[in-house]
Amino acid sequence: MTTLPLFFLLPSILGAVLAGFVCSTMGTFVVRMNLSSIGYCMSHAAFAGAAFGILISIDPMISAVLFAFATALVLGPLSEKARLESNVVIGFLFSVMIALGFIFLSLKPGEAATGRALSILWGSLFSVNYDNVLLLSLLSFALLVFVIVFYKELVAVMFHRKLAESAGINTKMFYFAVLFFTGFAVALSLKLVGGLLVFALIVNPTSTAYQFFYDFKKIMIISPVIGILSCLLGFYLSLIADFPIGAAIVIVSATGFAVSLIVSPKRKKGFFLKSKQKLDSSYK
Amino acid sequence: MEKNPAIVDLHQVDTIYEGEKIPVIHDINLTVKKNDFLSIIGPNGAGKTTLLETINGILSYTAGKGKVFGKQIKKHKNSIRKHTGYVIQNFEIEPRAPFLCKDVVMSGRSGKIGLLRFPTKKDWDIVWKSMGLVGMIDYANRAVGKLSGGEFQKILLARALAQEPDLLLLDEPFSNLDFSARNQIEILLNRVHDQYKTTIVMVSHDLTFLPTRCNRLIVMDKGSIVMDDTKDNVLQSDLVHSLFPKGGKQ
Repeated sequence: MTTLPLFFLLPSILGAVLAGFVCSTMGTFVVRMNLSSIGYCMSHAAFAGAAFGILISIDPMISAVLFAFATALVLGPLSEKARLESNVVIGFLFSVMIALGFIFLSLKPGEAATGRALSILWGSLFSVNYDNVLLLSLLSFALLVFVIVFYKELVAVMFHRKLAESAGINTKMFYFAVLFFTGFAVALSLKLVGGLLVFALIVNPTSTAYQFFYDFKKIMIISPVIGILSCLLGFYLSLIADFPIGAAIVIVSATGFAVSLIVSPKRKKGFFLKSKQKLDSSYK
Repeated sequence: MEKNPAIVDLHQVDTIYEGEKIPVIHDINLTVKKNDFLSIIGPNGAGKTTLLETINGILSYTAGKGKVFGKQIKKHKNSIRKHTGYVIQNFEIEPRAPFLCKDVVMSGRSGKIGLLRFPTKKDWDIVWKSMGLVGMIDYANRAVGKLSGGEFQKILLARALAQEPDLLLLDEPFSNLDFSARNQIEILLNRVHDQYKTTIVMVSHDLTFLPTRCNRLIVMDKGSIVMDDTKDNVLQSDLVHSLFPKGGKQ
């Protein structure tokens, strides 16, 4: 096991907690809106952006945010307006983004195989600094305010978009807001988790929480808790086993999801029948 | 000032789906007065749902003029929707959906409460009242995915009622329901129309199940209104017998 002083690890630990929070909070919306593929596409856009940053020698995080942001800008109207299967649009953008990422890296001689470039792909334990922590903190705060202030609208949109619209809610605004926040969450978590795996941090914790609760509010609370725990445990696993941090976080969150599938009360045989019988008897 | 102003007023309205050339509904002239209870009937593909969604502005009309509550639909659709309850057709919820009944009913009020405002005790009281009206108050903390078809339909109706709507649009509210559930929903609609003087526009393709208080029928075929008369006159007409050769049973 690598032994390092705490002050050296502190930015990474804080980064892991905040990345776990923002990614898995966005996961509650992304999973419910069946936007899993869109988030997957966005994580690769952030990867392409980071590679572009390396190519033009600017901070890769700035270009990653810009690429993810631009993808959110394009994806929203494209998935709304284009009369194409959403999977076709996403598949197209995803492949373009990963191709761009590799081209950008290959254009910088000597960079393609360096640790700096590869860390964009699978994250790095020590690449997180206090600037990243500050940005993630600001995003976490903005996300928290967004969820608290617009909770009733978000529940309505998550339940059924057309019904929410029929009740006088501007659903497009919330749909785009979810895309933007997802873009930011992905881009800012890229350094820690890596472009290829950051999306698992969005989907796995939420999918785990979904196995236990019927109340959206509880899922909104538990999903970030699972996300944060996955990141911290993944961080520890990375330290003791010397695994890449992104891979370690994904293994932990995926294991959590697999276990949740086995023990989920929602999936137990006869669960619905039993609960129905219990309810019927309570009304006799 | 007119004694009983039109709640819905459509004049030569066409609605075309985005990217298509042929209107789904065309040359629609329809006036609905306050406290009317009318059903739109017609075979599948007649344009009944399109007409409902043109009224609440979910679909934009491409020709003609449309007003609801005296306001132009295109300009004021969000404000119109806040006073218009809508129950969607054949909405099947997945069994593991993470929503409690009370939250679904409250979601109907979200638009009316408005942005940057939190639901107050008064809003929750209206939610409980709506759930009580449909007989589902004891289900407040149950997951919607666990409800039967009839129970879920009642929750959707409570959700629409929680808006305290002046106009209620119902798209096939009796579909997928057994006889007993249909009866319960019918009693409920009659009560809402009677007690709250709510204007109700309902879509149906089952002539055997029209609420007793429904006194006007609009017959649609191939995107047009082909008949608009009292329930008795329409049900006895040759046109209806030709459009519904099996007597309109589902």
